[in-house]
Amino acid sequence: MKSLFAAALLSPTVAFADGLTVDTPMVPLAPANAVAHAAFMSLTNPTEDAQQIVGVSAEGYMMAHIHMSDIKNDIATMSAVDMIEVAAGQTITLQHGGLHIMLMRPMEAKAEGDIVAITLEFADGSTQAIDAEVMRMTHGM
Amino acid sequence: MRRLIQILAFVLAGPAVAQVQGVELEEPVLMPAFAFSNELEENFTQDDLKDAWTLIMFGFLTCPDVCPFTLGNLEAAVAETGMRVRPDNVPQVVFISVDPERDAPWVSEYAKFFHPDFESFTGERAQINTLIEATDSFYRLMEPDADGYYEVQHTSSVSVIAPDGTLRAKLQPPFDPGLTAEFLARLQIAYRKEMTQ
Ligand SMILES: [Cu+2]
Repeated sequence: MKSLFAAALLSPTVAFADGLTVDTPMVPLAPANAVAHAAFMSLTNPTEDAQQIVGVSAEGYMMAHIHMSDIKNDIATMSAVDMIEVAAGQTITLQHGGLHIMLMRPMEAKAEGDIVAITLEFADGSTQAIDAEVMRMTHGM
Repeated sequence: MRRLIQILAFVLAGPAVAQVQGVELEEPVLMPAFAFSNELEENFTQDDLKDAWTLIMFGFLTCPDVCPFTLGNLEAAVAETGMRVRPDNVPQVVFISVDPERDAPWVSEYAKFFHPDFESFTGERAQINTLIEATDSFYRLMEPDADGYYEVQHTSSVSVIAPDGTLRAKLQPPFDPGLTAEFLARLQIAYRKEMTQ
């Protein structure tokens, strides 16, 4: 737990909840009229039991889904994922080219620094709230 | 992809990690006539390929990950290229939406978000198919779900068109800015050599 504590001191975005430890949840700033945004973060399961994320929702969006991006044989694809299982002690990172939370049809445009309230829904019926910050992605750093 | 035989690999410094940022075509492919536009009534045709280097990316706007990531990296790659080549050889970047039904009303804004000089267009299905085929690219609109939402699969690589209107190379993910710029600069040197022969 020492490392988690250190991470919490370093980053104001780390959220502790009953379920998963969430690190650097963010929504890349998107073009003003984009009808889909993504949320990225890493999820660590500090408990002794596997946890299954079976749904997501986000305030200010019509819909949210768990999605997987992939590039194979030069073809970019995206598909819905029914469930993310985070094993005990495991960290799963939602990042470019892999898993993301797909935020569909924002009700209003987002600006840098805005907070998107995301809720993870687990197989046991519990939920976990996450605040993801809208940030401009930097490339080629 | 069969034509993409001659591979120019640029190896990252350090451990033996070979990262291919681009593939040069064995034979240049002349682009056919095509016409795209956007809601600002700006046009993009084969004439716009003349006298400039052009990077063409296919995608769709309901794409929250791959498309923005690619355009973001292209912005950095083009900035890097600008430090290696003459100003008039800095490539223009064009995003073509293969999803005009959803994207036509505001397609112009998309590429501009990543750089004010980037342009985006869409067009009639036949025009899209023409350019997709000419660049040996691919896309597919998937079946809509119950809400009418559909995914779009598309080529991830970026087509590099020379000032003579021929497809010369494909840039490939992850579009590392420095390595991509290096690839483009070398491609341009080879092109100029060929032109003066
Ligand atoms: Cu998605």
